[in-house]
Amino acid sequence: MHIPDNYLSPSTCAVMGAVMVPIWTRAVKKVKAEMTKKKMPLMGIGAALSFLTMMFNIPLPGGTSGHAVGGTLLAILLGPEAACISITIALLIQALLFGDGGILAFAANSFNMAFLMPFVGFYIYKFLKKSFKSRKGENISAFIASYIGINAAALFAAIEFGLQPLLFKDAFGMPLYSPYPLSITIPSMLLPHLLIAGVVEGIITVGVLSFIKKVSPEIIYEGSSKKMRPIYALLIALICLSPLGLLATGTAFGEWSAEEIAAVTLGGKALGFIPKGMENGFSLSPLMHNYSVKGLSGSLGYILSAVAGASILLIVFRIVASMRKDIKN
Amino acid sequence: MPEWLFKKDNYIPEKDSVNFINKSILSILNILTRFKLQSNAKADKLGVNDLIKLISTLVLIIFVSLSKNFTYILIADIFLLMLINFLSIDEIKYVLKVSFVMAAITLIILLPSIFLGYGNNALMITLKVFATVGFVNILSYVTKWNDLLGALKVFKVPDMFIFVLDITIKYIIVLGEFSLNLAYALKLRSVGKSISKSTSLSGIVGTMFIKSKELSEEMYGAMECRGFTGEYRVYKKFKFKLADYICIIVIAAFILAYFYLDRL
Repeated sequence: MHIPDNYLSPSTCAVMGAVMVPIWTRAVKKVKAEMTKKKMPLMGIGAALSFLTMMFNIPLPGGTSGHAVGGTLLAILLGPEAACISITIALLIQALLFGDGGILAFAANSFNMAFLMPFVGFYIYKFLKKSFKSRKGENISAFIASYIGINAAALFAAIEFGLQPLLFKDAFGMPLYSPYPLSITIPSMLLPHLLIAGVVEGIITVGVLSFIKKVSPEIIYEGSSKKMRPIYALLIALICLSPLGLLATGTAFGEWSAEEIAAVTLGGKALGFIPKGMENGFSLSPLMHNYSVKGLSGSLGYILSAVAGASILLIVFRIVASMRKDIKN
Repeated sequence: MPEWLFKKDNYIPEKDSVNFINKSILSILNILTRFKLQSNAKADKLGVNDLIKLISTLVLIIFVSLSKNFTYILIADIFLLMLINFLSIDEIKYVLKVSFVMAAITLIILLPSIFLGYGNNALMITLKVFATVGFVNILSYVTKWNDLLGALKVFKVPDMFIFVLDITIKYIIVLGEFSLNLAYALKLRSVGKSISKSTSLSGIVGTMFIKSKELSEEMYGAMECRGFTGEYRVYKKFKFKLADYICIIVIAAFILAYFYLDRL
C-alpha cells in the first residue's frame, strides 16, 4: 500500500503534506504531554513491529501482493497519537533507506497508514469494546477494528491514485501520473484488502495482542514491564521469518516501477504506455533498494534489511526517550 | 595595621573574555568522568570473554578496512547497529555521537574529491570509518580496560608495554585529580584581567610534571619493596562459554564473507 514517487502529482503531495502537518503537530504535542519516559522505548518497539509486519508480503488475487500494517495494533497498545508517530518514523525509514514508498509521496502514505488506520481502528475498537464487554469480545472488537482500519487506508490510497488521471492530464489527455481512474483503482485495491489483507491484519492484531496480554500485560496498562524479553523474542522471531515475505512475488498494486507499468494488464487490456510524469520524475536511489543488497541472495538481503530497520527504530526511540525530561504524573 | 588597609578601594574587576580556565576544568572533568565510569563498568550483557571481544574487534576492523566490496561494509554497519542496541542509553548516545562526528569529518575531508569527480568511493570510506570507530567504541564500553590488558598478554605483547599501559590508566586518574585541584586553585585566585593567568596555566603543567616524577619514584620504591621484577603474569584463565562460541562463529562468518564477497 506504499505509494511510490511519481504516482501522485506534486500538487497532490503538497496538499497531503499540508493536511499532515497539523496532524503531526498535534500528535507530537499529545505524546510530549502524556508519554512518560519509560513508555517511550515502547514506541520504538511498536515502530519496529510495524516495520517488520510491513515486510511480510501476502499474495493477493489479481497477481499483486499486499501487506498488513499493524496500525490498529499500535493504537490499542500505545494510543492513536503515539501510534501515528511510530508508524510515521517507520515509513520514513522505509522511504529513505529502502525505497519502499516515495519521498514526495511520504505525506500521502503517512495520511493513509499513520493517521487513518490508527485513529479509525482505535475509535472503532473503543466503541465496540463497550458493546461487547467480555474477554473474547475484546479480541473480536480488535479484529473488526483493524479490519476496518486497513480497509479505510486502502480506500483512501485508491482514491488518491484514482483522482490523478481526472485532475492531471497532459495536452493529449493522457494521464501524467497514476494512469488508472477511480473506477479501476477502488475495486482493485479494496477487494483484495477486504478479502485477504484485512483478514490477515485482523489475525495479526488479535494474535499479537493476546501474546502481549499473556506474557506482559502490564504494558497495556502501565506502559512498562520487567518482562520485555518475550517482546524482543517476538521481534527476533519476526526478523528471522521475514524472508517469507519474498514468497509473494507479484508487485503490489500501485507500486510498479516505470518500466513495469507499461506491461500491466488491468481491466482486460495492457496499459501500453508510460505516463510522462513517471518517465521524467523524481527519483532517489536508496541504500538498500527494495530490501535487497547487491551480491547477496534475496532472503539474506531481506533479513539484513529487517535487522537494520528494527535496530534503527529501536535506537531512535531510545535516544528520544532519554532526551525527554520526565513529566510529573 | 598598614596604611593601605584603611584606604577605601573601589576596584571593580573587569570581565575577562578569556575563559580557558573554565574550559580546562571542564575538559579534565570530562576525561576523569570517563575513566571513573569505565572502572565501575558492569559486566556487559552479552557475557563474552574479554579476549574474544578484543580479537573480534581487531578482526572486524582489519577486514572492514581491507574490504573493497560495498556489501561487506553494509553488513558490518548493520551488525554494528544491532550491537549498539545492547548498550545502555548513555553509551548508545556517546558511541553514535563519536561515530557520526568521525564519519562527518571524513565526508568533509572527501568533499574535494567528490567535486573533482572521483566520488565513487566517498560513501564507502565514510561507512568504513563509521563502522571501525563504532566497533572500537563499543569495545571500550563493554570491557574494563584493565581486563583488556590481560587479554593483550595472550598476544605476547612485551611486558614493558603492558606495564606502561596499566600504570597510565591508573595514574591518569590520580594526576587528573591533582591537576583539577590546581586548576580550581588558579580559578579562585583569578580576578579581573591579567596576563599572568595564562602563564600560571603553564605553571600547572610544570607542577604536574614535577609531581609525576615524585610519584613515579615513590611507586618504583614501593613496587621494588613488594618484589616486582618487571614480569607481568596473567593468572586469569579465559573460560569459554556459549556466548563466546557464538561470537567465534559470527567472527568466522565475517571472515568467510570477506573472502566470498571480495571475489565478486
